[in-house]
Amino acid sequence: MGSGALALIQPAAPVAPASPPAPGSSNQRVRIVDATLSCIARFGLAKTTLDDVARAAGCSRATVYRAFPGGKDALMKAVVDTEVSRLFSELAVAMGEAGDLEDVLVAGMTLAARRIGGHPALSFLLAHEPEVVLPHLAFDHHDRLLGLVSVYAAPFLGRWLDHDQALRVAEWTTRIALSYLGCPADDVDLTDPEHARRLVRSFVLPAIRALSSFSPDPLVVGEGPARPPAQPTARSVPSPGLDTVKGEAS
Amino acid sequence: MEGGLRQRIVEAGYACVARWGLSKTTVEDVARQAEVSRATVYRYFPGGRDELIDAVVHWQTVQFFTRLYEEVQDATSLEEVLGRGLPFARRSLLEHEVLNRVLQTEPELLLPQLTLEANRTVGMIGAFLEPYLARHGVADGMEVRTAADFLARMILSYIASPGRWDLADPGQLSDLVRTELLAGVAPSG
Repeated sequence: MGSGALALIQPAAPVAPASPPAPGSSNQRVRIVDATLSCIARFGLAKTTLDDVARAAGCSRATVYRAFPGGKDALMKAVVDTEVSRLFSELAVAMGEAGDLEDVLVAGMTLAARRIGGHPALSFLLAHEPEVVLPHLAFDHHDRLLGLVSVYAAPFLGRWLDHDQALRVAEWTTRIALSYLGCPADDVDLTDPEHARRLVRSFVLPAIRALSSFSPDPLVVGEGPARPPAQPTARSVPSPGLDTVKGEAS
Repeated sequence: MEGGLRQRIVEAGYACVARWGLSKTTVEDVARQAEVSRATVYRYFPGGRDELIDAVVHWQTVQFFTRLYEEVQDATSLEEVLGRGLPFARRSLLEHEVLNRVLQTEPELLLPQLTLEANRTVGMIGAFLEPYLARHGVADGMEVRTAADFLARMILSYIASPGRWDLADPGQLSDLVRTELLAGVAPSG
């Protein structure tokens, strides 16, 4: 099974799959992708054959090949693309609905924790075939994953932060989430909003306040959104910065 | 001397891994390298190859933390501890030839310890940091243990995958340390 099959999609198109449209209706492709996910969740990657997938999808093997001419490798790439797109769409909804910056970060973290931590196929692989997944999550790949997520998530922070700050905060919050997801702590359950909120309040918000006070002039942010005038004492006193962060910017 | 012989076997183990890689190193190889009998190796490492490899990793880890301690011991602030420690740790990781070779050729053997089973590594880094956090103080309402754990996780993350950060750049390093790492941890004011 080529490791290339699980390479992450390019940052440029986080929502649309990177591969060109193939024959077969998109509904059918989705059905086949979901069937593959259910097979992997039960048998793992190595033991999942295209016959298994066809059976689970209720179609013929020929149909699977027509929809994914590149075979299992192409199918696996589509599976990753699809799941990532789905996660990003759900994140968009959750983060778009959140009221203030703290809520956006908490919503993003808890949703990611639930979807990724509870993902049946991913859980199976991590437990029984970690060598399939881990190389795609470490070192350079971790960097790429951080880049991908921060580019996607940064606009949701745009109500409160300029673009550079948003990218930075998005990258960092993703690091935090990935750390607790990959290596759980006894006293932190990221799927619990209260735990996520505690983390965000203890570590992330103070840094955001510090970030804002480092800006030479918060009003001059290039393409950033307009923000209320900086308090004269913002540099030395944390609480005025907290008001800005807590959503009075809109 | 017993300690000396055990250490000799451990260092021989390291030399074998450096030459042949982790999975291909056998007890026979190590015994030959250390110029002792197989029975002697098993006497010191009854768990066999696995226990020996564990000891090799442990030895390298202790060496790292010893050098890290030397690197940061004169630091007079939390910021300085991290400002010196982070680039040192990053360089150590990049320059460790054997570690890098194993990660490239046999990643499945070590990656779990850096990802899913990173608790041990996180625990060690946290334990290293706790005395400095206790000495320099942490923010109101924060516990030293919590701060140490969080910092350890972040440090491991930045060292292994710096992302957009260049840890060799003093300006960026200072920014990262003061903001992402210490803004919530350090006492305010």
